Amino acid sequence: MSALQASSLTADNNYFEDFVVGAKIRHARGTTVGDVENQLLTKLVMNTAQGHFNEDFMKATPFGRRIVFGLITGSIVVGLATQDTAENALAELTMTGLKFRSPVFEGDTLYALTEVLGTRDSAQEDAGVVRFKHWGINQDDVFVFEGEREVLIKRRSHWGAK
Amino acid sequence: MADPDIAAFEVIPKGKQFEDFEVGQVLEHHWGRTLSQADNALFATTTHAFNPIYFNVEAARAHDHPDTVLNPMLVLCTVVGLSVEDLSEGGGPFLGVNDIAFTRPAYPGDTLTARSTVADKRESKSKPAFGIVTWRTEGRNQRGETVVTYERTNLSVKRNAGNRNAGDLS
Repeated sequence: MSALQASSLTADNNYFEDFVVGAKIRHARGTTVGDVENQLLTKLVMNTAQGHFNEDFMKATPFGRRIVFGLITGSIVVGLATQDTAENALAELTMTGLKFRSPVFEGDTLYALTEVLGTRDSAQEDAGVVRFKHWGINQDDVFVFEGEREVLIKRRSHWGAK
Repeated sequence: MADPDIAAFEVIPKGKQFEDFEVGQVLEHHWGRTLSQADNALFATTTHAFNPIYFNVEAARAHDHPDTVLNPMLVLCTVVGLSVEDLSEGGGPFLGVNDIAFTRPAYPGDTLTARSTVADKRESKSKPAFGIVTWRTEGRNQRGETVVTYERTNLSVKRNAGNRNAGDLS
């Protein structure tokens, strides 16, 4: 049995009860995509497409340079949204409608926007499901990514004092 | 001794083209990947996935997990990554991903493998050098249990379209 009080590790403003349909959040932090986010993570996850890590090869294409693996962009956008939307989540459930709307290049800075689309009870009484729409934008406010996501989030009534 | 003629070395090509896919075809993807605590911490921290169950083992145990939980985006990206050579390295932009379901948690030490079925293929009206292919992909752990499923659609370059290995632009 752990002596840890889990609720002391996370904020008290993002339990299931706190999500209101229609709420729009601009997440506080952005992140600049460098070699670590693009080259390292792309290779870490076994993506073998050299369009993401061979600058010389990409010079001969219309892009002219490496482009970021779309799901790394998606992971960063979901990640930038995670503290506000899933710091108190029990599980990620589903995602759909993932679109990679504009290429992302190393050196670009990504920001995340979220709208709460819906909330519902789950089969377990200690948590509920929140449906989010996320958008990723770059430093010029160009939309580069969008997708919907469902997360199982703890209810404060059951977890707030644990 | 003189250097060899570089042009005399043959490339072993990677990736498939539009013509290589048939609806219903099943592809068991290469390699597999055992994901470690280090992989998980690196991925979760560099993507800002700030839920402690991904990087604090005591927090994960307090939620009845035996270890930290592999970040689901790491699981998804790894299953997609393992499928890239078979599905999309031959060239063609990533159009979208739908119906992703994270069906059970994965943990450090789990070994993921990926398998895809060609769900649909059709011509691209706007880009004649490409077709459009949709695959259903399943990621499984070492016990054969499904951890993630999804449907991915890409433009897929046609043979002799002059842009072989143009790069997976996902």
